[in-house]
This record gives sequence, structure tokens and C-alpha cells, in this order.
Amino acid sequence: MVGFFRQILTNLGNLLRPPRYFAWQTVIYMSLFSWLMSMLARAVFATPFTVGLLATISWICLAIGVGWALETNKIRPFGISIAPWVSGAILCLFLFGSWGGRWLQPALVAWPLMSFAMVAIPTLVSWDLSRKSPSAVVRQQLALLFCLSLLFSSWFQFYFRIQSWVRDYPSLVADSVDNSAFVYRIPGQAIALPAGVNHLTVAEAMLQEQVNGKPWPSVERWLLNEEGQRQALQRQIQAEMGQHPSLEDALWRLDLQPLTNGLGYTLKLWAIWTGPAATQGGYYLEKTCQLMPVNQNVITQTEDTGAPPGYTTTQWASLTCNLETPRQAGNPRAVYGSS
Amino acid sequence: MPITNLLSELGIMPLRAIVFQSLLLMVAIVLEAMVLRQQLRLGYRPSMQYAATLNLLATSLGWMAFLAIEAMLPLSLRSQIISYVLFNRFYANSWREMLPVAVVLAAIAAFFATYWIKLQGLTWLLKLLGQAPAEAPPIPLEKDRSQIYDRARRGQIAALPGMGPQGPSPRALAVLQANAASFTAILAVLLVVNQVGVLGW
Repeated sequence: MVGFFRQILTNLGNLLRPPRYFAWQTVIYMSLFSWLMSMLARAVFATPFTVGLLATISWICLAIGVGWALETNKIRPFGISIAPWVSGAILCLFLFGSWGGRWLQPALVAWPLMSFAMVAIPTLVSWDLSRKSPSAVVRQQLALLFCLSLLFSSWFQFYFRIQSWVRDYPSLVADSVDNSAFVYRIPGQAIALPAGVNHLTVAEAMLQEQVNGKPWPSVERWLLNEEGQRQALQRQIQAEMGQHPSLEDALWRLDLQPLTNGLGYTLKLWAIWTGPAATQGGYYLEKTCQLMPVNQNVITQTEDTGAPPGYTTTQWASLTCNLETPRQAGNPRAVYGSS
Repeated sequence: MPITNLLSELGIMPLRAIVFQSLLLMVAIVLEAMVLRQQLRLGYRPSMQYAATLNLLATSLGWMAFLAIEAMLPLSLRSQIISYVLFNRFYANSWREMLPVAVVLAAIAAFFATYWIKLQGLTWLLKLLGQAPAEAPPIPLEKDRSQIYDRARRGQIAALPGMGPQGPSPRALAVLQANAASFTAILAVLLVVNQVGVLGW
């Protein structure tokens, strides 16, 4: 037991003690020392320049040390040397991590190029900062590596461009990307609702305000001006969404269609998506509302709507909307005829 | 689960584009290496390295051009590009009629732009490797002309003005042939994939 611990201690000691001065452990210790010094400098209120300089030296030493350690210990998963990638990642973290906000984007885009620099600089610049000219074989490898890192960087940029598309047009996420030749979504993600649902909610609130609890004859007159109500509804949605404008608002079209249903009406509210969609003809979201006349004393109950007219004095309108907004393929005007 | 949270944070990723582009690049590099090896009498290894470098350079410059141009296009055209990237189809808007023509024009432009980049890239690469062959020694005009007449008399090459005594440089011809071969192969692969629907799309 004691021998086992002694063995571990010896191994640890060998790992931590640099075999000679020119070794990766020295650089890591320099990084640690520099970091402690920067902490000390901050504690004694040195100038920000001093603190920043010490921290910078610490980060650079950390990047070099970790890369060196990976390289000398021959840590090569799948035979690929990862040392420049890790060093490049550490440097990118240091350079862009302090930016705040959306720092991940420049960091990831710069990462392959930074890794290329970690490979290229030791072969192009010697220790006394004079230019070395490597052999033609090495130069060819460097050119190839540079083009490869440029390609990796472009892929990262493309990824972030897709994310900015999704920010501009959030409803795109609600559609299936299975047909795409470019993108893939890892299954099992929670898929957001299209923004049309919000439009329908706003439209429903507006309808409630305008017809619910109003005298039935005036509601029927309100319905007569169907085209006018449609335009008023669209204007109201635009005004409501204007507080958080999104590029995709222009691609949603709101429509409504009253259908007679016994004594009252069935109001169909549609949010029609006219933008990019996975299926031919796009899709729309449908909200179904029942607009029924009710007697004065039982405004909140709709069961009495079947009561024969004539016994009641005044009838009032009652609007009840379904909560769900089923998604249908195609265009509603193809089903219900043009207005 | 933190791992699922991370995955949903990632959102839509261009994984298919990366896989597909890697495969197409391999096809193009192998084909172009064969053409360059035959035309320029290179060894196996240098022809592979040249073809790989040129194709990677052209591809990444192409990505940059796409990303820059896409950001400058009008919104209605941008949304068509988004539609194509995400759903593999164009949707009905004011650009719908012009799109096939635009795609063909863009492909032709891409071919010539790629050719120019590869030719320039090959020149730079050879210069970088210190293998740029010394510029053909300027032949005195008299001798040049007499050579042309000589050759014309023997009915060999109809030497065009401005092309030098040897006609177009063998390097330019080789890169043109290599580019044509890889574009044809890529186009064929894309057509087959779109027709057959390999890989589920």
C-alpha cells in the first residue's frame, strides 16, 4: 500500500519536475507565476496595463506550454496532432473571451487560422526572431494546411450565417429540414412554435374586444364589412408587432372568413405563411372561433343559444375561440374560395 | 440534461454540407491530380498536393464570396437562398421565374472564377515552392516570326497572335482541363443525387 502511494508520488514528481530547463513544465510554471503576479498586481492596485501585460504573458505561456506538453507526450487521438488546435483554442479564448456578448462567433471563426499560426510560426520564425526559410516540402505542407484552415473557418462562418437567418426568420425553425442538402438538425430538440401563433392570439384579443358582449345586430353589421375588418385586423397586427419588429413579419398574412353555422357564425382566423417552407404551397395556421347570439341574462352560457327567438328581448354576441391552432398545408383560399 | 440543452443550443448545423463537400472535394482532387499529372508530367505526390491545395483554396474563397454576396442581396432573393439551403427548394415569390437562369449564370461564373483562382493559385504555389520555371526567354521577333512561318508552312499549329510561339501555356491548358473535369464530375454527382435521392433527400 505504502509502496503504491510512493510510486504515485514519484510519478507525480517526475511529471511536475522539468527534466531540464528547456521543457514544457517550465513554460507552465512561467504561466502560473505570471498569473499569480497579475493577481498580486491587481491586489496592490497596479496600473491596468501592468495587470493586462502579466495576464497576457500568462495566457500565451499557457497556450505554448499545453501545446508543448501534448506534443512531447505524443497525445495524438486518431494519429492527428491536436497540439496546435488546443493551443489555438486557448489563445482564441483569451483573445475573444473578454469581448463579452457574442464573442463565440469571432473566436470559432478565428480558431482554425490561429491553429495554423501556431503551426506556421515555429517553422517560419526562429528563436531569435529572424526569418527562417523552411524547405519546399514544409512550405507545401504549410500552404495546404493554410487552405484547409481557411475552409474550416468558412464552415464555421456558414454555421453562424444560418444562425443569423434563424434569428431573422424564427418561424423557419418550426419547419422540417429533412429535405435539405446542407443542414441537419440533431433530433430531439424542442421546436419552437411559429410566430404566426402570436399573430393569431393578437387577432383573437382584438376580436374579443370588438364583438364579444356587443348587441347581436351590430355584430352582424360588423361582419358585413368583412373586407374592412380584415384590413383593420392586419393593420392592428402590424402595429402590435412593430414593438419587436422582425424581418419575417412581412411574410405572415392574416386572413379571416366567417361561415354561417346555425344561428351564429364560425369565424376562421388564418395566419398564412408566404415565406420559405418545406412543402409545396406553404402552410397556414388556423384558429376556429364560434360567434353565437345569446340571451341577455345568460351571456356567459352558450347552451341556451338553441332557445327559440322571440322569447328573448335582446340578443348579445358571444365569442369563444379554440385554444389550438392546427397547422394545415397549402393555402386556405384554395379550400374556402377567394374572398 | 445538460447535453441535450447543449445540442438544442446548437440548433441547425450545416453537417450535411460539410460531409457532402468533403466527398465532392475528394472526387475533384483525385480527378484534377490525374489530369495535372498527365498534362504537366508531374510525379504522383506533387500532383496530388497541387490539386488539393488549389481545390481547397478555390473552395474557401468561394465560401467567402458566397457569404459576402449573400449579405448584400435584396431580402426577397436572400429568402430564396435560405429556402434552398434549408428546404432544398425555391418558394413562390417575385424571383421565382428568374431563378433557373440566375442559377445557370451563377454556375458559369463560378466555373470561370474557379479557373482563374486555380491558375493564379498554381502560379503562386510554384513560386512559393521555388519551382517557377524561368520565364520563357524572349525570342527575337525575327526568329519568332520565321518560326511561325516555318511551322505554318509545315501546317502544324495555327499560331494565334498574343499566344506566344508555343500557343497557350501548357499550365493554363492543364488547369482548364482539370477544372472542366472536376466540374463535370461534381455536376454529374449532384444530378444523380437529386434524381435518385440518395441519403434520404
